[in-house]
Amino acid sequence: MATSATVRRGLARWRWLSAGVIATLALTACGSGSDDGGSDVKSITFWYSTSAQDQGYTDLAKEFQAKEGISVEIVNVPYDGYQDKLRQAAQANSLPDTASVPSLDTIWVNQLQDLASTANNTTNNINKDLITVQDGKVLTIPSDVTAAGLFINKSLFDKAKVAYPTDPSKTWTWDQFLAAADQVRTATKAKYDLVYDNSPARIRAWVYTHGGKGFQLGADNKYAAPDATTVQALSDFAKLNNDVTMPKSVWTSGADPNALFKSGQVVAYYSGVWQVADFADGITNFDWASVPTPAQPVHATDINLGGKVVAFNNGDKAAAAKKWVDFIFQRDNYTKLAQTNGYLPIEKGLTLTYPFKKQAALDAFALYGKEMELADPISASGQAAGTKLLLDGKSISEDPTKAEMAKFINGQQDVQKTVDNIVSGLNQQIS
Amino acid sequence: MTATRRPPELRRPRGRTGDVPKAIGASSIMWLLVVVYAVPALWFVLSSFKPAGDLFTYPLTLFPKHWTVSGYTQAWTQFDFARYFVNTLIVAIAATLLTIVVSAATGYALAKYNNWWLKAFAVCILATTMLPSETILAPLFLVVRNLGLYNSLSGVVAPAVITATGTFMFRQFFVTVPNDLLEAARIDGSGELSTFVRIMIPLSRPIIMTLAIFSFQWRWNEFLWPLIILNDPKQFTLQIGVASIVGAQNVNWSVLLGASVMSMVPLLAIYLIFQKYVMSADLNAGLKD
Amino acid sequence: MVDSVRQSAESPSVPDDAAPARAKPRWWPRKRYNRYTAAPLLLISVNLALFLLFFVWPVVIGLNYSFTSYTGVGTAPYVGLDNYQKLFGDSAFYAALWRTVIYTGAVVPLTFITSLGVAYLLVSPYAKGKTVARVVFFLPWLISPIIAGVIWRWLFGENVGLVNFVITELGGKAVPWQSNANLSLMVVVLAATWANTAFNMLLFVAALKNVPVSYYEAADLDGASAWQKFRRITLPAIAPTSFIVVLLSTLHTMKEYGLIKALNDGGPGSENNLIVQYIYLTGFRRGHIGYASAASFILLLILMIIAVVQLLANRRKES
Repeated sequence: MATSATVRRGLARWRWLSAGVIATLALTACGSGSDDGGSDVKSITFWYSTSAQDQGYTDLAKEFQAKEGISVEIVNVPYDGYQDKLRQAAQANSLPDTASVPSLDTIWVNQLQDLASTANNTTNNINKDLITVQDGKVLTIPSDVTAAGLFINKSLFDKAKVAYPTDPSKTWTWDQFLAAADQVRTATKAKYDLVYDNSPARIRAWVYTHGGKGFQLGADNKYAAPDATTVQALSDFAKLNNDVTMPKSVWTSGADPNALFKSGQVVAYYSGVWQVADFADGITNFDWASVPTPAQPVHATDINLGGKVVAFNNGDKAAAAKKWVDFIFQRDNYTKLAQTNGYLPIEKGLTLTYPFKKQAALDAFALYGKEMELADPISASGQAAGTKLLLDGKSISEDPTKAEMAKFINGQQDVQKTVDNIVSGLNQQIS
Repeated sequence: MTATRRPPELRRPRGRTGDVPKAIGASSIMWLLVVVYAVPALWFVLSSFKPAGDLFTYPLTLFPKHWTVSGYTQAWTQFDFARYFVNTLIVAIAATLLTIVVSAATGYALAKYNNWWLKAFAVCILATTMLPSETILAPLFLVVRNLGLYNSLSGVVAPAVITATGTFMFRQFFVTVPNDLLEAARIDGSGELSTFVRIMIPLSRPIIMTLAIFSFQWRWNEFLWPLIILNDPKQFTLQIGVASIVGAQNVNWSVLLGASVMSMVPLLAIYLIFQKYVMSADLNAGLKD
Repeated sequence: MVDSVRQSAESPSVPDDAAPARAKPRWWPRKRYNRYTAAPLLLISVNLALFLLFFVWPVVIGLNYSFTSYTGVGTAPYVGLDNYQKLFGDSAFYAALWRTVIYTGAVVPLTFITSLGVAYLLVSPYAKGKTVARVVFFLPWLISPIIAGVIWRWLFGENVGLVNFVITELGGKAVPWQSNANLSLMVVVLAATWANTAFNMLLFVAALKNVPVSYYEAADLDGASAWQKFRRITLPAIAPTSFIVVLLSTLHTMKEYGLIKALNDGGPGSENNLIVQYIYLTGFRRGHIGYASAASFILLLILMIIAVVQLLANRRKES
């Protein structure tokens, strides 16, 4: 059977194998080299999450290093799992020095530095309505603002010879929009009038524009049952998901509305400003355009914050971290950042020239700027409630609106049960 | 090794008249399955060569109208592909080596020894597959942190070594190895462990190869755990890089497809190399001819 | 000749007194055949250590959470069996469980048959062009759930999917692949089989290659047909692997989450919420760590029962 030579070879192989195993273990065991703990801080870390090739922060980091001699290590963390990663890093005492985070977390919110000096700096002219102050402290400054809005398939509109408004101050109502979309759809044999992003934030815009107040935090810091207009608006929305006006599959089973719009078979798409950069490169087979949000009768949208910039109190790195955050929001620097990364600015009164080559993209950004000015103040209430809760040590990890609306549109329950479930689901998480 | 006669089914057909219809029959069934399996995979691979604007156009196409590698070039520059690749390679190799050794030993023990606590341990090993990963994620993190393995590649490797699949693969294989062999070795005076290392492990080479393929794929495609454990971006693994292409609100599909195809190529290479070995292996589990 | 297939791990093969003449003089006391303890203990030592460190320790922490109302931060106030009571009173839990059982009942047999068939074809010398086939069968297993979601929605999307496109071109009506809960589940069953074939196929290939030569030769001498050879020789010979394929497939499928989320997000509505999605939605995503842990341990219990039942059934077959 086995010859002695084979045995010897076999044993030799095993020794070699175990040596290899030990070697690899040793290699993997040496984690990241110990960081410098010197008093002269030479580098800080900055975590953020982007899926595009955003040069904005990288460029700023270079200038910051030239100016202050501190290098900024920029780490791009995938969005899915970013919040978890921050939480676990907090439990391992390894939070970054600065970061742009999706939302604050109660577990590390007490380790944040006060950024009031940057936020209150008059030259920066940061939009105070979007900054939450607690006990005189500003714990985070958003790097950009986002707004929901409507896109149309311009080629289809032109083909059907149907007009659409271009000036937000003379916007149309939802009924007018749907009628126009119906016309376009039947004339061009497209499949659907509209696809609507499957998200609680986006449905807020629907409710606000119909005059409802949505789900608001009461004075007792609990979510109250919504008003009748909201309930009616949600009912109307569900009725529109009839596979003629809107496809059911988006809200009931998570079909991708972005892909549907790109197929050229849908007349309009309600999403937000973050799609502009994607459409600029990603839509080549038809013309698209941003159009004013319909108002019936309230002119509103859903204003949300992009990344929230924070600086952590990491011992001797804290001062350098604060300098970096300050640097980001200095007027000239922030202008460059917003332009390169395609952000809607948090600072007021800036003149931005975005680097988009497509005219449709440039027009879109101009439109969103105007829309934000005209939007009813209720538009920012969604994100304000979230921040307020966080500063109280509570948070909504999962908005039940999406799941409940899915059941409602699928016919599993009526609108009253849906609304009740949403309210109780929200309150369950903050009790 | 002496040449063993292969079973009639596995021998090259020597031109007997019954072989041709068998060849046609088997081949056509296989190719039918191949087509069915290939269509979805083909769309995926071909779409990685489509420009972003053509990905979702209607009517749908299988083949790109304009071929482009922009998805690939963008994916390569989007994140430090080469470095993440090396990191993932280290993790995968280390974990695979360890898993094979550990699973073989345990599988053999479960198959050939009769103690009651071994049977209980078998059920315990199975239990490790019964919890959804997120349940155990946060507690496991606490354990790994307390062991001082945070932010190191061994923190990624160590919890991954234990696998019910691998252990039971070996157990089922060793069950089919006749106890004659073991007894003969004992009679020859070979110690238990020596028998295991010298005789049993070489016998189980195809299982080793198969487990290597599995283990490699598991470590290669692991995303959430390396993301949470590793802090230093220089140690990030490939899937962390690929996941960074998926944005908060939208996905750059052409880049994602390009990155995914690129990250699959090494796995395919490993598979082809190892599978060649399994396929050409001529084994009889130690039975005399 | 001993039947290698029927050999069970526990039966002794050769009584001690059968070969005393050839035994070398030993310096250690003679052990009985079923009383080796040092060797198996040593063999499983590493796995045992890893098991205790990286499974038992976290599980104890998790089990502890299930008796509290832990939210992921701060303290974990003890609530006793509250979480479990709430769980057993939640109809959504039972709905999810039942749906998971149906799903598993569909996927496991389908996967078994296709994987075995594919493995058999790959091992047979008659099929031509196996290298390409091997790659094609293996590729789906490498694909991540998010990509699989895009692929299968592209194929079976009810709005702009390929299958509906072909159907409507041929004059039929578009099928609601996503709006109909059962059709939607069927698509997931197909996708799951497609993705998991490679794994089981590789297990079967290794097992098929291991079937003793002499059996086939003896059957050939008796003039057995291919089907008879398959039924009488191959199937029993690969029985241990078949068992493990069924067991692992069942456990893996009961825990399904990523693929179904990517394909229909548990929809339409919540009709296709499987048990793990239920745990994530009502537990982890809402910060109810205690509740999620309780649900997870009930799932563990269910899977444990399934595994033990299968192990017992197999033990009876093995002996």
